[in-house]
Amino acid sequence: MRTIGALIRKELGVYFVSPMAYIILTCLMLVFGLIFSSEAGDAADFGRPFSFGGLFWVTANLMVIVVPLVTMRLIAEEKNRGTIETLMTAPVTEFQVVLAKYVATLIFLLYLLLPTAAHAILVSKYGTLDVTETLTGYLGLFLISSSFLAIGLFVSSLCSSQVTAGVITLIVTFLLLLSSRFAPQITDRTPLGRTTRSVFEALDPFRYFGDFIRGIIDTRPLVYFLSLIVFFLFLSVRALEARRWR
Amino acid sequence: MIEVRNLTKVYPGAVALDNISFSVAKGEIVGFLGPNGAGKSTTMRILTGFIPPTSGSATVAGFDVVRQSLEVRRRVGYLPENNPLYPEMRVEEYLDFRATLHQVPRSRRAAAVDNAVERCSLGEVRHRIVGQLSKGYRQRLGLADAIVHDPEIVILDEPTIGLDPHQVRHVREVIRELGRERTVILSTHILSEVEKMCGRVLIINRGRLVAGGPLEDIHNFTATGRIRLDLRGAPSGAREALGKLPGVLNVVEISRGNDRTYFVEPRDGADVRSDVFRRAAEAKWEVLEMGPERVSLEDAFVELTDRSGPVPDALGAAGEKGAGA
Repeated sequence: MRTIGALIRKELGVYFVSPMAYIILTCLMLVFGLIFSSEAGDAADFGRPFSFGGLFWVTANLMVIVVPLVTMRLIAEEKNRGTIETLMTAPVTEFQVVLAKYVATLIFLLYLLLPTAAHAILVSKYGTLDVTETLTGYLGLFLISSSFLAIGLFVSSLCSSQVTAGVITLIVTFLLLLSSRFAPQITDRTPLGRTTRSVFEALDPFRYFGDFIRGIIDTRPLVYFLSLIVFFLFLSVRALEARRWR
Repeated sequence: MIEVRNLTKVYPGAVALDNISFSVAKGEIVGFLGPNGAGKSTTMRILTGFIPPTSGSATVAGFDVVRQSLEVRRRVGYLPENNPLYPEMRVEEYLDFRATLHQVPRSRRAAAVDNAVERCSLGEVRHRIVGQLSKGYRQRLGLADAIVHDPEIVILDEPTIGLDPHQVRHVREVIRELGRERTVILSTHILSEVEKMCGRVLIINRGRLVAGGPLEDIHNFTATGRIRLDLRGAPSGAREALGKLPGVLNVVEISRGNDRTYFVEPRDGADVRSDVFRRAAEAKWEVLEMGPERVSLEDAFVELTDRSGPVPDALGAAGEKGAGA
């Protein structure tokens, strides 16, 4: 436990000594703030109740770019610098390393998302805030980002170059983003087409994310996101262990 | 302390280690010597549990490196080749982090860090950022990292590479100091390093142990069997007189300024030093020096690890003898 704590502190330290954390946070807040002001203005002009739904969609889409920036260095950098050797010859297990790195990215994610809650406080003060919808929306945003982070961690564990890891993660998350777009274009006239199409539909994380935005917590999206996370963390542990197989 | 039995490591397309066996006793400083790519780093990586062997076994402090890897890693301090560090951390912070990973209890951690800092003379830089340290300090930090948890066994892969002579001297002192109460294995391709620090040497080449034993044994490899005799002035007829001694096969005379040097080659490895001495005394030659001719350790090393030539049988046998000791 103490080992994991030390590893998490070390990972978080890396984020905050580099300008990366502050740049990402600034960009995210800027986009969030701009869209908030325009949507809140519209809501006020037309006398509609304000909803965070649209903002959450945009933020979730932004995560496609933010997540690779956060995860690309995780393991690829250790390999590139050779510190993987000092790390793995200390009495720590691959599981501890993967878990600590993942938890560190989750904490970093919370750090990115928390400041946006200021907007919700503004809305509740000057208008009417649908508390349930906002909370489930945040939960959905956290879950979809967490599953992207797990994917990014796995890709980083396969690469020894940060840039490669970042680019591959970007491609994967971007394909997931687009899966709702190209799934309907796959023909459903052949059995193979139908199968492929249903696989892409089932994989589409944004479909499940939609439920959360509408204030619904269903078990299916929860199972989907959690199994995605567990699956990719498991693969990351295996990828780290792979040097022992050769 | 360390037992290696028939260790073999095969990478796709290359044999890195070929059936190596040796053992290291508690409190020894053993030098691992060989050209680049001989298999030194591979051996060290197996001993520290970073990679498993293809076949054969290794135990460190009584624990198997594959099946009881965590136990081994708890007891070993390791400085990998190229000394990887986290450049964004501070010296003290890094050592504290490493001590925590090595399960040094919180109550003893500050003392452990202080001790490592002091031993490796890092006091001046303990609050500096690792990325801004000079190469010498970085190397010492790597050493401090290897000893911060007070390990029984310290494994150092090329600890003095890329350092200037002052830094090399300092790092050697630290290592000698370590060897007083710990078992140390270090690798290098610099021979003088081994002579100055180690009690025993293992010479490895192309994945095989080609020679091994106490430093004196290694020195014996360097003897050519000839006797070197330095005489003052140029006594006439000395070469012929030496040649007539019983048991002498051949004498070579070399002129060095006003003085002469003779290389006396005995027949069948006979010891002719007494005869040579008596002959010199009778003839009243002024003997400046007499002793077995030696090639430098450097030359012996090149010969032992020559990539083109086969491994001489005699040395191979000596290697096994040394390894069993």
